[in-house]
Amino acid sequence: MPELFKKVLVANRGEIAVRVLRACRTLGIKTVSVYSTADRYAVHTLMADECYEIGPPPPLESYLCIDKIIDAAKKAGADAIHPGYGFLAENAAFSQACIDNNLVFIGPSPESIQLMGNKVESRKKMVNAGVPLIPGMKDAGESIEQFRKAADKAGYPVLIKAAAGGGGKGMRVVHKQEELETAVDGAKREAKSAFGDDTVYLEKYITDPRHIEFQVFADSHGNAVHVFERECSIQRRHQKIVEESPSIAVTPELRKKMGEAAVEVVKAANYVNAGTVEFLLDTSGKFYFLEMNTRIQVEHPITEEVAGVDLVAEQLRVASGFPLSKQFKNLSQRGHAIEVRIYAEDAGNNFMPSIGKILLYQEPTGPGVRIDSGVRHNSEVGIDYDPIMAKLICWGEDRDTARARMVKALSEYKILGLRHSIKYLSDIVAHEKFGSGETYTDFIERNFSDWSDGVDENMEMALATAAVANALVKPDHVASGNGDMGSRDYNPWLTIGSWRIGEKIK
Amino acid sequence: MIYEFVHNGELKTVDLKDNRIATFPDVNKAVEIDCSPDGRFYLHNGDARSEVHAVVSGDTIFVDINSVLYEFTIPSQDGGKGTSGGGDMADPSKVYAPMPGKVVKVIAVEGDEVEAKAQLIIVEAMKMEHICIAKAKGKVTAVNFKEGDQVDTETPLIELELAE
Repeated sequence: MPELFKKVLVANRGEIAVRVLRACRTLGIKTVSVYSTADRYAVHTLMADECYEIGPPPPLESYLCIDKIIDAAKKAGADAIHPGYGFLAENAAFSQACIDNNLVFIGPSPESIQLMGNKVESRKKMVNAGVPLIPGMKDAGESIEQFRKAADKAGYPVLIKAAAGGGGKGMRVVHKQEELETAVDGAKREAKSAFGDDTVYLEKYITDPRHIEFQVFADSHGNAVHVFERECSIQRRHQKIVEESPSIAVTPELRKKMGEAAVEVVKAANYVNAGTVEFLLDTSGKFYFLEMNTRIQVEHPITEEVAGVDLVAEQLRVASGFPLSKQFKNLSQRGHAIEVRIYAEDAGNNFMPSIGKILLYQEPTGPGVRIDSGVRHNSEVGIDYDPIMAKLICWGEDRDTARARMVKALSEYKILGLRHSIKYLSDIVAHEKFGSGETYTDFIERNFSDWSDGVDENMEMALATAAVANALVKPDHVASGNGDMGSRDYNPWLTIGSWRIGEKIK
Repeated sequence: MIYEFVHNGELKTVDLKDNRIATFPDVNKAVEIDCSPDGRFYLHNGDARSEVHAVVSGDTIFVDINSVLYEFTIPSQDGGKGTSGGGDMADPSKVYAPMPGKVVKVIAVEGDEVEAKAQLIIVEAMKMEHICIAKAKGKVTAVNFKEGDQVDTETPLIELELAE
């Protein structure tokens, strides 16, 4: 009989580290966190039973530093390491280093990670397993002639993609043969600088596609299941921003077919633990394998809400050696869940990352509202990491209820002190095309390319509020025309520090 | 009481009475904001009230109205008092930038008759807005920069012909 881990180190930060720490605590597992000097007082750092400093803020010197993390795990006497997502989550060398140091990597084997990390290799494997792929090149292309031939065969438009790619880097859509050569060169350059590898390949570009992914789970006893789909078509520059489950485009028959294909992928890759198989679904109901993500996904909570499971707790159990638990053998979907990602970014200014201190933080609540957050009041959001602050997940009996709860919850979510995307997300979920389910991967381009936050509309209210806040907090600030300039030497702000509505001035 | 704030490089003016009723120079509209004893802000509209959110931190005021974010800064009014600036700070007929930066707004026009403390030009430096004011009454004889120009502390931004 296997035994559950006694102590687990979480090699991550922010909301996902907090999420994993919670799952450990639920199971009675002791927790260890690691932190860079920028995160000395971060939520994830202080929440664990023990915490270890692993270096300065740049990820290469801390959260990506395999040796330091392994050292911390040994020092703490941890049995296993959970990598979260990002950072070392899909790093085969890290998974191997854990094994070499008698630590369990909570995730798949180094071989699975390596296979799925290489898009050309994984496509080959999937062809052999009979999983449908987008028509295109089977191997990385070298000469422009090869690309031209493959493009003619697949039919324009075509997509050039980086073999080592992700996040839209090294991607180009080509509509005509004349544009092909420039696009291939551009994609190669971009791939080289982003991944250090300029291998690119070509495939057919699917018009009006939806991004449909299947949550999969396999144990080390030969059991593999899928936990239904998530639709993540709402993307900006190939980054998901709104996700939902189930997809309104997936019928029960299609779900069965796609789910079976996803499980086929898991088996072909000899995969263990949680993973995600991504497909493109076209308007005729044909679907194509895109890639497999060998980690827990950002958007995993919507699956948890709809299927009533705890995916992270199950990761811990399965990595401890247990077979898949009962709930994973009798899975059913209930209701509808939507997730939005709350980023510290300026939606009104080209989504530039925004840094600062959270001076006011007020989370929504109510039936069907869940928040996975890595920040709180007075948290500092810096430049060194992904600007995700929190995820808001809303569940309802049906899609419209989930949507209504999301719009309500977003209106109650207050974060002041830096720029964020709450208004933008609310406009997306409330949009009529989102309501009617016309959610193709170009939804943002089509409907939100000229979005603006509408500051002018309520400028007077904002100015009035600023004036009242200012008058009560900083009564000596008045305009030069009326005020006494001589008295400006006295400045209580030099001593008072930051001030928050709802708190007494200290 | 008149308050001035800078929003996206634009100077905004609001007249606040009783710390509650706001009116505006160009808009025929009054807005009533009530601050409750627990420090929350409410917008009054007849009998209806809705909560709005604000935080003051240093010279910045963050406001949220229906999820739309506003960031107001209180303009610093150093009028070239000469802390870090170059140029000849003692000469009131020349107005210099306090730090190298970018012109975000030119208020003065050549030929204007200006009072002492009149706002002439706004320069952004180190993410702060500096309103450069006239140190004495006079007539604007030269406006040497336009919006968007990079400026140093050596070249006068505005030149005045002083009254007496």
